[in-house]
Amino acid sequence: MEKYFDVTYIAESVPLLLPFLKVTFLVAGLSVLFGTLLGFILAAMKTGNSKIAKKIAYGYTTILRCTPSIVLLFLTYYGIPSIAGNFGINLNDVDKIVFVVITFSLQFAAAMSEVIRTAYESIDKGQFEAAVSVGLSNAQAYRRIIFPQAFVVALPNFGNSLLELMKEGALAYTIGLIDIMGKAELIIGANYNTHALEIYLALAVVYWILSIVIEQLFLKLEKMFSKGKQVIKTT
Amino acid sequence: MLEITNIHKSFGNNEILKGVDLQIDKGDVVVILGPSGSGKTTLLRCINFLEKADQGHAIFGDIDVNLKTASKKQIHEIRQKVAFVFQNYNLFNNKTALENVTEGLIIGRKVSKDEANEIGKKALDKVGLAEKYNAYPSELSGGQQQRVGIARAVALNPDIILFDEPTSALDPELVGEVLTVMRNIANEGTTMLVVTHEMSFAKDVANRVIFMDAGVVVEEGTPKDIFVNPKEERTKKFLKRVLPEDYIFYI
Amino acid sequence: MSEGLNYQFLVDTFFVALSGVPIALLITIVALLIALPLGFLLALTRINRIPVLNRFAQIYVSFVRGTPVIIQIFIIYSSVPLLLASIFEKYNINMNVYDVNPIWYAFIVFSLNTTAILIEVFRSALSTVSKGQLEAAYSVGLTNVQAFRRIIIPQTLVVALPNICTATVNLIKATSLGYAMSLQEITLRAKVAANVGYNYVEAYIDIFLVYLILCSLVEYIFKLYEKRLRRYKAVNA
Repeated sequence: MEKYFDVTYIAESVPLLLPFLKVTFLVAGLSVLFGTLLGFILAAMKTGNSKIAKKIAYGYTTILRCTPSIVLLFLTYYGIPSIAGNFGINLNDVDKIVFVVITFSLQFAAAMSEVIRTAYESIDKGQFEAAVSVGLSNAQAYRRIIFPQAFVVALPNFGNSLLELMKEGALAYTIGLIDIMGKAELIIGANYNTHALEIYLALAVVYWILSIVIEQLFLKLEKMFSKGKQVIKTT
Repeated sequence: MLEITNIHKSFGNNEILKGVDLQIDKGDVVVILGPSGSGKTTLLRCINFLEKADQGHAIFGDIDVNLKTASKKQIHEIRQKVAFVFQNYNLFNNKTALENVTEGLIIGRKVSKDEANEIGKKALDKVGLAEKYNAYPSELSGGQQQRVGIARAVALNPDIILFDEPTSALDPELVGEVLTVMRNIANEGTTMLVVTHEMSFAKDVANRVIFMDAGVVVEEGTPKDIFVNPKEERTKKFLKRVLPEDYIFYI
Repeated sequence: MSEGLNYQFLVDTFFVALSGVPIALLITIVALLIALPLGFLLALTRINRIPVLNRFAQIYVSFVRGTPVIIQIFIIYSSVPLLLASIFEKYNINMNVYDVNPIWYAFIVFSLNTTAILIEVFRSALSTVSKGQLEAAYSVGLTNVQAFRRIIIPQTLVVALPNICTATVNLIKATSLGYAMSLQEITLRAKVAANVGYNYVEAYIDIFLVYLILCSLVEYIFKLYEKRLRRYKAVNA
């Protein structure tokens, strides 16, 4: 363990780390995209009429909720190529980022299915009935009446899930992905494991700022959309 | 028995009480009337230290206390003598009706559990809830909840019970049962200070009526003085507004 | 890796992973024992806007919730030994920093982390208990402490319980990061066993199963407890 604490390491490592935010963002972005799609499907299963579909969707959510990210990450990383190998498909050369995105998409989908379900259920049934009664089709009723209202309800929870995703994503370094966390590990390695504390502090600061920015952004969005709601009310 | 002098209270720049005096003797049933925002509720809350007055003095039996600087010990002693019935009942949500009534006895006064249960059951019987000892507040109607609230106050055997608009949160059809209970305990000689909008209660039960407006006592006297021969213009105006036109003929 | 699963290894390693459960649970329980009261007190400082503490709690929560747990672990794990070493040196304590059992670092990290989470949980739960409950408690002659112990805390707990459950499950899951402190918990034990013959898939299936069982059990226990606590709300539900 190193003896000295040197603040300059914090300042010097930040510019080295920042370019790798791109990878962090890429993982988060793709996971949000796929995770939300899968989340919609799961939410539809949960709110639908099929008992089996319901059981599957809820079972999926429970299992994912009980699995640590790092365990899921390694299960995907080792498990998928192994299963594929049984069918004679070689996945060993696939980029690591694919497994990271799969892992966090699966995880994000579980969270989103609950976010979407609760948002959907919070909308009064009368809204749909009223929409249909004025001649909208089912699809139109969902698209024009239910979805916009549910979206506002879901927004804060979506923001929280996104923050969770960003933070859990830091574990991707364990399978060797060079995102911002992975880069930090490289820097520490290059320093012969000295001044690790300073690098980690720099990393913490970057994540902290990122979280605050995302949080503020969602607060702004929320305000914007609920303002819209009031305008509609008064006109 | 209870004497309060020159009580002042402001919230921010808004002066709610501007020097109110109040004297209550044992066995009195005093009703405070007045438009909303006149400071009636604040006066009651200051007496029980739920709000801290900015200035004022009180004598509770043998306790002589400055309302602003009262010590924790003094506040505790006074609260042992004064019970409070809330507008929103404020029953302890996590306690049954009986537990609500005995909580103050067992924990606040160190009465034994058996004795407290006996007192508590008697109090609940008195308000007509003998069937509801083990019901939780969420299982009771508003009127029943407020009757538990009154039983909770009565069980403490306080020197005085303060009622803060006890029927205002109730649906009209539930007001009667609560007023009946209040009449009964008044008839037993309980000292009561009641803020209410129920004119019939003031007229029939009170031995003294106080009319407050804008943070001061405008007029006080017997119900007859206030309802039949109000002297102050503000009292007349208020009564005209809250009473039916031909009310005077009912008296 | 394509010869299919090694079932013997799968079964054996399951018990290896299981043997890490006591450590994971010990850390979870210690962290909760520290974080529950501390989180509650700091939540009170937030609600009552106690000048300095409120601000401190706010920043503290923001930091912990804004950074990955793994980084928090690394920061504690690389800073506390430095601090300890300088303390040992200063007071001439003849003890090697490397002899400190890593479980102590785990206690620190997870207590600090869970405290921040619970501050927020209690803050929102406290805001659902109306001020009238406290006033009613005062009015029947309860002291401040009595009012909190008998009226406010029980009601807050019921509201907070589902979130405390989530926090507990997350805490158990987070102990899987103990490997970063060389902590002999579920994940590390199974992983080490897998290192011998590269049976990673089997090892991670075992780890996965152990967490699944553990977390499902914890959720089940919380549900039972919640049902009991919630009796007084039965009619509302």
